[in-house]
Amino acid sequence: MSDTSILTITDLRAKVADEDLEILTGVNLEIRPGEVHTIMGPNGSGKSTLAKVLAGHPEYEVTSGDVVFKGQPLLDLEPNERALAGMFLAFQYPTEIPGVSIANFLRTALQARLEDGEEVDLFDFQDELLDRMKLLDMDPSFAERPVNDGFSGGEKKRNEILQMAVLRPSLALMDETDSGLDIDALQIVANGVNTLREENPEMAILLITHYQRMLNYIQPDAVHVMVGGRIVLSGGPEVAIALEEQGYADWKEQEGDEEGKKEEGKEEKEQEEALTA
Amino acid sequence: MSNSPQAAEAPIAEEETPSSLDESAVERISEGAPSWLSERRRHAWSVFEDTPFPSTRSEEWRYTDVSRVVNLADLRLVTDGGLAENGSRPAGLVAAMEEDLAASGHAVLVDGSVVHVDLDPALEEQGVILTSLRSAVHEHGDLLEELLATEVVPPEDGKLQALNAALWTDGVLLYVPRNVKLDLPVRVTRWVSHAGSAVFARTLIVAEPESQLSYVEELLSDDFDQRTFVSSAVEVIARDGAQIQFVSIQQLGRDVFCQSAQRTLAHRDAKLDTLNVSLGASVTRLDLNSRLLGPGAHSELLGLYFGDEDQHFDHNTSQDHVAPDTGSDLLYKGALDDRAQSAFRGMIRVHRDAQRTDAYQTNRNLLLSDECRANSLPNLEIQADDVRCSHGATVGQLDSEALFYLLSRGLSQDQAERLIVLGFLGDVLARLPLGGVVEKVTRAIERKLEHV
Repeated sequence: MSDTSILTITDLRAKVADEDLEILTGVNLEIRPGEVHTIMGPNGSGKSTLAKVLAGHPEYEVTSGDVVFKGQPLLDLEPNERALAGMFLAFQYPTEIPGVSIANFLRTALQARLEDGEEVDLFDFQDELLDRMKLLDMDPSFAERPVNDGFSGGEKKRNEILQMAVLRPSLALMDETDSGLDIDALQIVANGVNTLREENPEMAILLITHYQRMLNYIQPDAVHVMVGGRIVLSGGPEVAIALEEQGYADWKEQEGDEEGKKEEGKEEKEQEEALTA
Repeated sequence: MSNSPQAAEAPIAEEETPSSLDESAVERISEGAPSWLSERRRHAWSVFEDTPFPSTRSEEWRYTDVSRVVNLADLRLVTDGGLAENGSRPAGLVAAMEEDLAASGHAVLVDGSVVHVDLDPALEEQGVILTSLRSAVHEHGDLLEELLATEVVPPEDGKLQALNAALWTDGVLLYVPRNVKLDLPVRVTRWVSHAGSAVFARTLIVAEPESQLSYVEELLSDDFDQRTFVSSAVEVIARDGAQIQFVSIQQLGRDVFCQSAQRTLAHRDAKLDTLNVSLGASVTRLDLNSRLLGPGAHSELLGLYFGDEDQHFDHNTSQDHVAPDTGSDLLYKGALDDRAQSAFRGMIRVHRDAQRTDAYQTNRNLLLSDECRANSLPNLEIQADDVRCSHGATVGQLDSEALFYLLSRGLSQDQAERLIVLGFLGDVLARLPLGGVVEKVTRAIERKLEHV
């Protein structure tokens, strides 16, 4: 692990692009290479929005704040440039791409990482893909299926991790990868992720989840609690365990208390936020 | 198996003075022809003269105003394969001819006239005929007199069909006798070289009972700076138990008006499938009528189009179920970019006696820009009561979530669009996977996408 951060988020605020609806209300977070950070929080707290904003989803608009990824300002980059820089978002709801096989899709994604004039070696790629599918206990025929088209929920999630395994990001944002997985599938996915971490100890992970159970398999270095669009508590794994027992009710109340302490200029935004909470 | 026709033995004829599209042209083309043919041409010309120009007021021509697409008075008829003045072949034609794909035989047409034919000698011995219509008039007169421009695509079908029947200069005859099976496709290349010309060609394909064939034609030209008219009449007959796959890949240059009238006849237990790929030309009009004439007959009608700039496609299809226990399945898919437009008008007609018909029709369109437009008009006319029919049409935009998903994996906007478009169109090709067709069409679509 290195001392320089891979991701530094400073007072990040973001809203839905077409509406006056602020979802992220000042997020601060620092992740160093090799670290696993978990964000937990109730529905609608902004966890998934944070992941999408970091990946550059056009549905959201950053209104203020800074994000530095590997020493570079992130927010000016196009979504594909962020991916090429080493960011990977494992989607909560992976999208179907009819008629496009996983193999073709991943080959194109690798091709995008090469210089002009360079070509992905087809045989090397096939070997690599089969190897990665084995890691995730996937049948080789999976490679020829159209991306996420007709997949079960579990297959979609596994397909996300397969892509992560092939593309080898330096920062993986995993958005509720555990939801929709039965315990066996969860173990396979978690083992896959842990193998990737062994292969590349510098890879950092931001793990967004509702439940503590994923953390039994992937040990976090830090657990953050997000409520109302910002991180309200950070700590070690014990935070997750406490949350599992007590729920988020306390945090919601506390958020209400904080409301009064805010300076006047921000009042309007805070009210909107309270409406969404 | 024969080799690709790299060296055509027929020297290309000196260019004749092209003539106008009028009655004197009919007389001139008829010189030396048997009387039945001259009669037929004169009859077709009179039908042409008696038939009004298609109007956008008629349902079938609602989306294409032919009077604005082509002015016949501006066109010159090319009656012989008069190629470039110095006799050399344009690069596009040479490239197509040199493509070394496995084939039962080849035919090459330049400006509507056959300049090369070769056929696997083993097939020739079994009675397979692959020849130019011009020589078939003399060598296989009886067959042509019976079938050419009579019951399959007669002049009475419409103004442009009549014009073709009067003025066709040449074309391809493919005849496969009873029980003979062609393992490899017959490959036909049709090149058009003259800007401002009118080219009229016909294709007649006959598969006798229990025979089998596949036919892949490509229509090619450079881009022109003058409206050029390429007219085709395609007649395909599958006798009892025969199997035919017909593929036409149209990659003509800009400023071409490509008009094709096709009819397929599927007799008892015949399987007759067509794939029409429209990528080129400025305006494309396809009339395809698929007739199921005998119990057990089945046809797949597949179509794919991808338009950009100001391209215009008009597909007019009909599935005619005349006999009981017949099936047809149509899938036409198109993607449009820039200001391109498409119209699809599909008809399923189930005749009174055609009980237990299965007929399906699907047209799907993917719009890649805000300015392109797709119109889709599915129709059913059912006179029998025990049938299974369905039709559906969709017009959709590029899925922004799918696009973001691909971008988030590092694909550029162009790469992402390319995958989505090819994925969208790909299942049409997958349904008729003839050697080389999928790759060829995929490459052509990729080339077009690179311009986007």
